[in-house]
Amino acid sequence: MKSKTTSHIPFTLGLPAIIWQIVFFYLPLLFIIVSSILKVSESGMIQGITLKKIFLFLSPVYLGVIGSSLLLALSNATLCLLIGYPIAYFLSFTSSRFKSFFLFLLIVPFWTNFLLHVYAWFFVLEKEGFLNNLLRFLGIIDQPIHFLNSLFAIMVMMVYYYLPFMILPIYSSLERLDRRLIEASLDLGGSWSHTFRRILLPLTLSGVRGGFFLVYIPSFAEFAIPELMGGDKQMFVGSVVSHYILGEQTGSLGAAFTVVSSIALLISVVVLFLLINKIMKRVRA
Amino acid sequence: MRSIKLTNLTKSKHGSRIIDKVNLTIPSGKFFALLGPSGCGKTTLLRLMAGLETADGGKIYLGDRDITDLPINERPINMVFQSYALFPHLDVFDNIAYSLKIKKLPKLVIEQKVFKILESFHLVDHIHKLPSQLSGGQQQRVALARAIVSEPDVLLLDEPLAALDFKLRERMLIELIELQDKLKTTFVYVTHDQFEALTVADQMAIMNHNGDIEQIGTPKEIYEFPISSFVAKFVGTTNIFSGELLHLDTNPTIHIPDLGDFSIDLPQKKSWMKEGNHVAMSIRPEKIFITKKEVKNFSNHMTGFVQSIVYHGRSTQYNILLKNNLRIQVFEQNEEHFPQEVIDYDNEVNLYWQKENVVMLEK
Amino acid sequence: MGRIWKLLIVASTYLFLYVPIIVLLVFSFNTEGFPSPWKGFTWHWYGELLHSTHLWQAFLNSLIVAICATSLSLIIGVLLIFYAAQGGRTGKFLSLFYGNLVIPETVLAVALLSFFTLISIPLGLTTLIVAHTVLGLGFVIPMAYARFLEIDLRLTEASLVLGASPAQTFFKVTLPLLRPALIATALLVFIISFDDFILSYFVAGSTAQTLSLYILSMLRSGVSPVVNALSAVLLVLSSFLVLVFFSLKSRTRIF
Repeated sequence: MKSKTTSHIPFTLGLPAIIWQIVFFYLPLLFIIVSSILKVSESGMIQGITLKKIFLFLSPVYLGVIGSSLLLALSNATLCLLIGYPIAYFLSFTSSRFKSFFLFLLIVPFWTNFLLHVYAWFFVLEKEGFLNNLLRFLGIIDQPIHFLNSLFAIMVMMVYYYLPFMILPIYSSLERLDRRLIEASLDLGGSWSHTFRRILLPLTLSGVRGGFFLVYIPSFAEFAIPELMGGDKQMFVGSVVSHYILGEQTGSLGAAFTVVSSIALLISVVVLFLLINKIMKRVRA
Repeated sequence: MRSIKLTNLTKSKHGSRIIDKVNLTIPSGKFFALLGPSGCGKTTLLRLMAGLETADGGKIYLGDRDITDLPINERPINMVFQSYALFPHLDVFDNIAYSLKIKKLPKLVIEQKVFKILESFHLVDHIHKLPSQLSGGQQQRVALARAIVSEPDVLLLDEPLAALDFKLRERMLIELIELQDKLKTTFVYVTHDQFEALTVADQMAIMNHNGDIEQIGTPKEIYEFPISSFVAKFVGTTNIFSGELLHLDTNPTIHIPDLGDFSIDLPQKKSWMKEGNHVAMSIRPEKIFITKKEVKNFSNHMTGFVQSIVYHGRSTQYNILLKNNLRIQVFEQNEEHFPQEVIDYDNEVNLYWQKENVVMLEK
Repeated sequence: MGRIWKLLIVASTYLFLYVPIIVLLVFSFNTEGFPSPWKGFTWHWYGELLHSTHLWQAFLNSLIVAICATSLSLIIGVLLIFYAAQGGRTGKFLSLFYGNLVIPETVLAVALLSFFTLISIPLGLTTLIVAHTVLGLGFVIPMAYARFLEIDLRLTEASLVLGASPAQTFFKVTLPLLRPALIATALLVFIISFDDFILSYFVAGSTAQTLSLYILSMLRSGVSPVVNALSAVLLVLSSFLVLVFFSLKSRTRIF
């Protein structure tokens, strides 16, 4: 379609991006995949291929860690979905004056430093924290409740942090919806739940799917929240990885475990994806 | 010299031939129209001239210069797009001045040229507006101004009036004619609307569905003397009769089954005009005289029944059913407020025409 | 779905989102180290904030990294778009960049750390910038390219026909039309880099401390009202940036 004005000069301009991505994204990933099956001596010489490291991590202990991470990710994504969809719906269907305001309110925490949110919840949930002090002040409890260092704290924080990731894709697919379809459905006598099932859900399913994986995938490898909120009681992939990687001797083990968990993640993503697609087909029928 | 010559131009897209070995010469300084049905390839031809597409074969000449391989931006050919393609982030002035700024003309010269064109196009009031703030007609004029301010050798127009309403279109057509007359730039105007083409063109070419050029000529030549039934039917409306050629040497006649023999004129001998051959006769609706009375001095006559009457304001269209179940159209100009003769539904009418007013076409 | 239910869910969710923040803000003015009951209003902690050199160093580091990473990813990304605009075959290459969304940040961090160790690059601001640029590219290129595809082809054609070279067309037509999307994307990348924690945790090493890491160290040593004050300041900053983003959003469709 273009006439003969394409020279080769632009290609060298496009090259930096591609080189950068290959060198700093794909190469490192390739590296840790390869290094997880390499046997390295003390002095750093490559001695051959070994699956020992991989099998090390297929033991029950580690599989348990992977399992709980998968479960965490799944429950987080599900919770975010259940809470997030109504919010997205609300945002999309409010009158325009307030819509920007509520959107603004939603995005501000999203754009504030993650650690500060952790800190904020610390502040609230700590033994000497706000919530405990309030409850004691109101006379509801005598002794401070240990909110922190629990699965409860982890879940609260996870949902808190990942909610916008779920809401925004759903919101955008709701925005793209033709409002007249809903009007028509209600007009023709459909009840609300019927309208939801037959019209809203099928058409926004792609947004739901997007939001779901946007939450699910990062949640799996999340380590800051479990570590800071859960202490040493709960072990997840992220914490294990960070401990190994940053340790002197265990660097390569950390890489290997990352690879193993990533494969587990990939498998679960594929399974979930196919499952969701199946559900999508059923709902759209 | 600002003429365009296309020799053996071929272009395929997605495996199918759009145009195949097209030859066309567009004379310098004239208003040339390229008419054809939608999808026939006329826009492709235009884009090839502009350089937006590269030909698979053949050559394009601007005057004596071979511009086939010349890049788009080096051709002194500008184009007005159907969707105007005004730069949305630039105001009217900057849109028009765009090509002049590229040429790096001095600021004062640019201002001079742009203002002059703004005045003649009545756009001075809108000089700082963005395209989104203009009406359709205003946008069209900006697109036109932008294309001609740099005084190109050739101006290509791709159905530029398609988006305008009828009255505006009529006015713009006249303005375009006057503009071309003044500038003497070669205009190449592509359209599927035969009314537009007939109105503006000094010369025109008709393209058929296959991308072949059927006929080239002045509007009058094409309308009055179409050389194929496609041209006859595409440009204006016509009635086509099929029949047999008889008595070629003595008294040329066409024998139409169930209707009779009609005398015809053969001003030019063509190879397919042989005794006994099946041919087609094209006669335009306005060339047939319709009346209930008997009239003498016409070379041909037939009768029929009035099926429907359509009132067009300045003319009335009668759809007539003939003896052989063929339906034809007859136009009659409404010359009088109170016509002396009233023709009504189901009336039997006489249809008269002169043999010079028909065109014989190859079947 | 009753309106009451709807309102309840929405209200409680927003409350959930904001209660910690509000509490934080309120107590940043508390005289006594929190979270003991309210003692009195004070600007004291904000004062301490201003004097904390460690904090400012960390803040500066985060700023430098964010600005560099944003600029780098923008420039590299625009160059790629330029290549695409000249008719380059970018189709396949672009799918390379969608991987960023699929890989969890932790995995990327681990990979980069191992990689940097392997080629013996000292960890610090440089490695941080490199890492954040990778992150940024994953946003810049899909978003810029999507917007690029939306640009009417006829506009670039018109520019060429009017005599502009392909390069001139890019700078005079394509880039101005891309600008709102690029600015919005730059803002997004800046925020993501500035607030980033995971990549910084792994790749910053011991020398460079970003704001996130600084807050982490403060967290480990317990709660401090200075951090409350810091939160308030950063919140105001974020709000401002979101406002800027919103004013751009009306001119471009990101969501």
